[in-house]
Amino acid sequence: MSNSQPFFDFAPIWQSRVLLIEGFGIAMFSAVAGIILAIILGLIIALMRLSRFKILRGFAFIYTQLFRGVPLYVLILWIYFGLVYAVGIDIPRIPSGIIALALLNSGYLSETFRSGILAVSNGQREAGQALGLKGWQVARYIILPQAGRIVIPPTGNQFIDAIKDSAILSIIGVPELMKVAQEQANLFYRPFEFYTVAGLLYLVAVLIVSRGITALENRLAKYSRKSGSSENSVVTTATTDASH
Amino acid sequence: MDGYIYNWNVVWDSLPELQQGLIITLQISIVGMALAIIFGLTFAMGRMSNYGYVKKFSTGVVNFARSIPLFVLLFWIYYGLSLKFAINLTAFQAGAIALGITGGAYMAEVFRGGIEAIDLGQREAALAIGLSSSKAFTLVVLPQAIRIIVPQGVNVYVGLLKGATIVSVIGVADMIYVAQYISLNSFTPFEMYSAVGIAFISLTLSVAGLAYLLERRLNRSSANV
Repeated sequence: MSNSQPFFDFAPIWQSRVLLIEGFGIAMFSAVAGIILAIILGLIIALMRLSRFKILRGFAFIYTQLFRGVPLYVLILWIYFGLVYAVGIDIPRIPSGIIALALLNSGYLSETFRSGILAVSNGQREAGQALGLKGWQVARYIILPQAGRIVIPPTGNQFIDAIKDSAILSIIGVPELMKVAQEQANLFYRPFEFYTVAGLLYLVAVLIVSRGITALENRLAKYSRKSGSSENSVVTTATTDASH
Repeated sequence: MDGYIYNWNVVWDSLPELQQGLIITLQISIVGMALAIIFGLTFAMGRMSNYGYVKKFSTGVVNFARSIPLFVLLFWIYYGLSLKFAINLTAFQAGAIALGITGGAYMAEVFRGGIEAIDLGQREAALAIGLSSSKAFTLVVLPQAIRIIVPQGVNVYVGLLKGATIVSVIGVADMIYVAQYISLNSFTPFEMYSAVGIAFISLTLSVAGLAYLLERRLNRSSANV
């Protein structure tokens, strides 16, 4: 570093602000798309695990173990580089990343949804049947609304993990925030400044989402008789997966 | 691209290199976990402190460390910090520190949860029979809290093990690094990454299995007390 340059120089950040914001947008888009797909997949897998049929239960069990055990990095490389060679499916960068995020998070979410559904007491279902509701009506009006409230905090944590995980998509060249930060850091030779700003942007995103989820929880807690759930805000609940 | 010929021999031929990479992955995750335990215990104590500002500071640090992606932390430490302040960390050291910070934030919550789960009456009873405050903690509260902390700590370790895969981006020669290198030369990414994936799934499942056995053992000893 030459002496004429200032020690901290955040001017390059301002110069690259448009690129950084675009990258931030792509990161958020990937995380949101990934988590929406993961919720759909996770719900299907959770229902399969609760199914009467042994084959469906077995498949869902293996699916869960598989995607909870594999690191995201390996999954992304496997989808983006591996599948092209072996199966000849050429998936573009961003969809590859979104698929990887969706598969990984669906493994965790299916377990969350399963325990949420099981947590609704059996008496609720029986009461619904006793009132003359049909099977789907019991599921739609009795079980799911109650299970939904239980699964909101862990699902929110999963969304936060997906935001943090989206940084890993840069390894296959998805032009998200971390990729932009890497390129600009090399261009201006200012890695400290660019990675600090990238980190702060992720921090802001995570804090906003966790506040939003806490607010949602408190709103829904009004409707439930046991309104103790508001204490487990997202920030204070420990998720025990540190791979992010 | 149809008619792809699977070449699993490459995987068998590169087993020694993959094994080397696996050892590096285990080493870096264990060093990272050791740092995470130190970091976590410190900040768990901080969060339970009686001093308001210590509590606020510790809570802030834990939430901060949990909100930054490991990937960003890794680059920030390795390229950002070491270049700016001329701390010449090796890739292995930078990786272990990043894992330690991320894991530490989770461990802080695990320690705090475990200690706070122990009924206050236990501590009061220990003080009432004349134990000092530190003895009440080490002899009465901690042994009970350990039973809650260990299984969750193992979960954090499994997370770190999976997180440890990304240290290859800064050039630590772990299993992924080896797999990338070999698949580039032999054009067999599918086979190599499948092998690494299977290795990781078996690794995490066996750690989880060990944790289950450990948990059962700890619970049995609690029944005898």
